[in-house]
Amino acid sequence: MNTIESGKEEGKRAAAPRARFFKKTMLISVAAALIPLYALGASIYFYFLSSYQKKTLEDTRKLAESRANAIHIYLTERTTLLKVLAGQTTLLECARPGALDEKLELLNEGTRSFIDLGAIDREGSQAAYSGPYPLAGRNYRDAPWFQDTLCQGVHVSDVFLGYRGVPHIVIAIRQGKDPSPWVLRATLDSEVLSGLVRFAQMGETGDAYLVNTEGVFQTPPRFEGAVLKESGILPKRVPPGVSVTYRWNAAGEKRLTAYAWLPKEKWLLVVDQDAREGLPLLATARTIELSILTLGSLVIVLTLFVLNRMVIRQLGDAERDRAALDSELAHSSRLAALGRMAAGVAHEINNPLAAIGEIAGLMDDLMDEDFVEKAPSGPMYKEEIGKIISLVERAGEITRRMLGFARRMEPKMEVVDPNLVVKETVSFLEKEAYYRQIEITLDLDPAIPRIRTDRSQLQQVFLNILNNAIDAVQENGHVLVSSRAEGQTVAVVFKDDGPGMDAATLSRVFDPFFTTKQPGQGTGLGLSISHSIMEKLGGGLSASSEPGQGAVFTVRLPVSHSL
Amino acid sequence: MEQARILAVDDETMFLEPLVQRLKIRNYDARGVRTGEDALAYLEENPDTEVVLLDMKLPGMSGIQTLEAIKKRSPLTEVIILTGHASLEAGKKGLRLGAYDFLLKPVKLAEILEKIEGARARRNSRYQDGIYMK
Repeated sequence: MNTIESGKEEGKRAAAPRARFFKKTMLISVAAALIPLYALGASIYFYFLSSYQKKTLEDTRKLAESRANAIHIYLTERTTLLKVLAGQTTLLECARPGALDEKLELLNEGTRSFIDLGAIDREGSQAAYSGPYPLAGRNYRDAPWFQDTLCQGVHVSDVFLGYRGVPHIVIAIRQGKDPSPWVLRATLDSEVLSGLVRFAQMGETGDAYLVNTEGVFQTPPRFEGAVLKESGILPKRVPPGVSVTYRWNAAGEKRLTAYAWLPKEKWLLVVDQDAREGLPLLATARTIELSILTLGSLVIVLTLFVLNRMVIRQLGDAERDRAALDSELAHSSRLAALGRMAAGVAHEINNPLAAIGEIAGLMDDLMDEDFVEKAPSGPMYKEEIGKIISLVERAGEITRRMLGFARRMEPKMEVVDPNLVVKETVSFLEKEAYYRQIEITLDLDPAIPRIRTDRSQLQQVFLNILNNAIDAVQENGHVLVSSRAEGQTVAVVFKDDGPGMDAATLSRVFDPFFTTKQPGQGTGLGLSISHSIMEKLGGGLSASSEPGQGAVFTVRLPVSHSL
Repeated sequence: MEQARILAVDDETMFLEPLVQRLKIRNYDARGVRTGEDALAYLEENPDTEVVLLDMKLPGMSGIQTLEAIKKRSPLTEVIILTGHASLEAGKKGLRLGAYDFLLKPVKLAEILEKIEGARARRNSRYQDGIYMK
């Protein structure tokens, strides 16, 4: 009971450092594998994020720039058309009934962007008008755009309501020379302009609109505000050309905003979108990356776990093998010590034993026939002395056997009768077999040749096989040892009626450290050592068995070495 | 017929004395001494001693030293090693130094007699061959 408990404690003590070692190697290897992986993942993510942001900024900037160019080209084209038309006519011609209608028709060929057309004399009085509004005869002498046109030659207005009360843009061209210049004026549908701007309203949150230099909407925004209302943008602070920036709107949302100036028209195109607009794509990228990292980490951790377990198991096996070897060495050294002790005891006993033998022998010599016959109890003396001599001989046999045991430690080739070695080995185990009620039967062929071999090593082989056989058979079991000549070999066969072995056990029976015995009962070295001894001696050791049919071990010794 | 002269050397008198007595009963001119030095002195006086039964473990001169000295002074005298302290090395060394054989105590008298006769036969054969005649 104590032994079992102390064995468990020992097992726990051996397992604890292994568990610590396992934890440590797992920690180090997992850290070494995962830290670079996550560092790589993080750097890829941040590089992607930065590239994506740069690309978004650039895309927005390009969008604003291209839209501004498109609007500018559109207005320039309309202005040029009007200039060409004005250059080809006169105020008088325009005043002819139906003339402006024809010209308006001509202007709107292809695109219906002009609403009306008017010819105004130098006094600001509309001399002719073609359009849907009742504006004939109106005087624009005081309108700022009229004065500006007379001065500059060309005028493109901001969006304004004017007499008609709807948002519109005026393009006016001065024609004719002083002292009688006149003005050809056309009204552009601001809805066409709004349509051009709307192309820049991207995605779910994108917006685009024009504001004038005062920050007043020139086209309607997509979400909040209306044409001619304050936009909240301060164009004076916006640098010339095209620029992109993040800004926070009134609702506290972060917006990505691009500004593009239309230099001639003095309008500012604003293209903006929610800064989070691109986030779903980023979120997808992040999810994919995190999934790959998680999966990779799992694979790495699992692989390292399995590898470390394998290493720890192999270390454990190596430890066990070493422990078994240590145990075998300790066993050998105990045997050697026992041998030396046996030799010492035998030597000490031999001398007094020899003296007893000689004294008894002398007494026997001195009892002549006369004495035996005539002395009272003479025959009894003779008989008892005979017993003393016989006992001395028996004790002498025992001490000789002890010396023989001690001598097995020294390798020596000698001429050996295998049958005698069998008998001697069996005699060592007779008592044990007797107590376990196991019958050992000998069927030795007296005609087998004597051979030259190492007697003690051969005896060790026989002893190992017999020990295994005795361990394998149950009470009332049988072990049969037979010898026979087989051509150029002598075969000694050990057959038991134990439980036998299956093919898997049989295939490993000569493997070092393989044992089917309980832990601590066998080192698994006996048969392995026996096998190598037999090979060294030029012979062989083979085994055959089937479950339930017992086992047969055959030792073969070469007769070529016989004398 | 002249009795064969035998010398037994053993410090164990309880073994030595009955052995000598038993040899005498069997018609040998047997003597026993307890040390190697005594054995050499006896052989000096009795150079015709045919066989010496020699123990290995002796006080003073050891059995091996005594054997060497005997073989040096009277090579014809055969020596049988008879000891309880058997070791293979000592036995091999004894045989190399010219001992006739090596017997381990306890041993039957019949076996000792057999070896004595064997030793005497070898001695006589050598004597007759004149190998050691000067």
